[in-house]
Amino acid sequence: MWQFLNEIVQKTLTGFADRLAAFGPNLLAMVLILAVGVLAAVAVRVGLRLLLPRLGFDRFAQRLGLSVILQKGGIAVAPSAVAAAAVSWAVLGVFVLLAIGALNLQFAMDLVSRTFTYLPQLLIAAGLLILGSLAAGFLRRSVLIAAVNAGLPSARLLAAGVHTALMVLFAAMALEHLGVGRHVLLASFTILFGGVVFALSLAFGLAGKDLARELLERLARRRDEPGEDERRHL
Amino acid sequence: MSVPLQPAVEARLHEIGEVDLLVGIPSFNSARTIGHVVRAATAGLAKYFPDRRAAIVNSDGGSSDGTPEAVAAAEIANPGTILVSHALSPVHKIVTPYHGIPGKGSAFRTIFAIAERLKVRACAVVDSDLRSITPVWMELLLGPLIQQDFDFVSPLYLRHKYDGTITNSIVYPLTRALYGREVRQPIGGDFGFSGRLAAHYLAQPVWESNVARFGIDVWMTTTALAGGFRVCQSFLGAKIHDAKDPGADLAGMLVQVASSVFDLMNTYREVWPRVAGAEEVPLFGFPHGVGLEPVPVNVERMLAIFRQGARDLGEVWEKALEPETLAAVRHLAGASTLPFELPDRLWVRVVYEFAASYHRRVLPGEQLLRSLYPLYLGRTASFVLRTESSGADEVEAIIRALADEFVRQKPYLLALWG
Repeated sequence: MWQFLNEIVQKTLTGFADRLAAFGPNLLAMVLILAVGVLAAVAVRVGLRLLLPRLGFDRFAQRLGLSVILQKGGIAVAPSAVAAAAVSWAVLGVFVLLAIGALNLQFAMDLVSRTFTYLPQLLIAAGLLILGSLAAGFLRRSVLIAAVNAGLPSARLLAAGVHTALMVLFAAMALEHLGVGRHVLLASFTILFGGVVFALSLAFGLAGKDLARELLERLARRRDEPGEDERRHL
Repeated sequence: MSVPLQPAVEARLHEIGEVDLLVGIPSFNSARTIGHVVRAATAGLAKYFPDRRAAIVNSDGGSSDGTPEAVAAAEIANPGTILVSHALSPVHKIVTPYHGIPGKGSAFRTIFAIAERLKVRACAVVDSDLRSITPVWMELLLGPLIQQDFDFVSPLYLRHKYDGTITNSIVYPLTRALYGREVRQPIGGDFGFSGRLAAHYLAQPVWESNVARFGIDVWMTTTALAGGFRVCQSFLGAKIHDAKDPGADLAGMLVQVASSVFDLMNTYREVWPRVAGAEEVPLFGFPHGVGLEPVPVNVERMLAIFRQGARDLGEVWEKALEPETLAAVRHLAGASTLPFELPDRLWVRVVYEFAASYHRRVLPGEQLLRSLYPLYLGRTASFVLRTESSGADEVEAIIRALADEFVRQKPYLLALWG
């Protein structure tokens, strides 16, 4: 009996030792990859923190309006620091995936494979959001300046409307790209956008028809107003 | 790079050979007025330069209203009645389309190229929609070049006190402060220049830039000033011309003018920081007073846009203006006391800070300069209110005082420029 038990324990320990011997190098590789990843991420972060400000990245970000977006989001550090942190986290993320892959386990392989398949979608969605934010900021400013120059009373409201509409459009595009509730999203966006336009048309056409007429008349009058010939200014 | 010309034009140039004087007329759909301009130029050349060989070049931008035909058909019916001397040789006419980017600058480029080919000594360019041009303009624009070896003749017009406010409040005082010469109408449009300067213009690498589209006038003036050419002014009297586009976007015009001047600041960044003070340039012609058409202005609307700008454009002006300047502008917009006045000192700071912000590219150029528009209207309203009952001399003194303030504050611009 004792001999039988001893054999089982021996077998189990031998099996564990064999499996550990087989798995050990993978584990070691994972730890090594993680260590390299951490070092690489730190190096990238430090390097970018030094390089980006010298390349004028902060000025560029300020010009694009990224600094304002960060400030509005409660991030008080320089845009170059944020970019350096983002890139270093991305580098670390890649190394973590590689480390998990090194374990050579089925679920780990699946995870790595799925992540890498999904990564392009994620990057495109992030790109769409950044592009949308930039385009919306640019257009908002253009509309604001043009509306003020034209003497329109609700310049800021108009600019905010354009900004919101564009952000919603780009967010919808990004989510659609990620495959998040694709049909629900499309239907919601169509209903919302159509509804807003319809509501505005009704409001302007019915409740505000006098205002519309007055606005159009004022615009027409302004063209005929004296002192508007550009040559008189030049 | 040589300027392409049509074979017929090449043949005509070959046939003409060389001339002493050339008058260039850029045009686009000016059939109604260009005949008068050609006749005035022909009469002026015959009357004041009868012993010189001369040519008139019409550089057309593809007019569809028969402008080139109007040029070809323009003749002086009875030269004797306008005391035209008997010219030794006829005034040659060359009508050519221009190539390149559509715009007055490209039209001028063709004129410069023809001037170089014909080895001219002196050129003049005049607008095709002028109604007030007379033969004496030829003497005033070409005479100083031929007789006194000047290189550039800038026009001096008599204008109503509310006319030319972009010139009076930005272009004239800024150009004077930057380049140190008293050129009162840097964007006048009608100029005289030597063949040497025409060749210099032609050699500049600007013909694919905005200079080809707009801004050629201030570019010519500035290039002459910054290049150290001999500059003078000629008094031409009143300038009356067809108003082609009364509904044009005034803010757009301001952007074009301001961006041209600011771009030139960058081009000549090695020149203007070394210039101190401002000196007069010789003036030709006989200054006289004429009755000027009154210019109606809408001060209320200007002030409304200025105040709205101060209320709504804070986020843009914060990027362009220093905190102290912005606070002063906001204070002014918020004050209800009359009369409204945007003082010279503040206006100069606004212009210099916008110039420096444009240079640093804190915002896309067009957005930045469009946001200057409400401030410009505020300054114009202030000027109109201040000069309501002033005579021409008093108004000129006020404009000169502003120009002097630009000179006084030039060190501030240098500090901002970095």
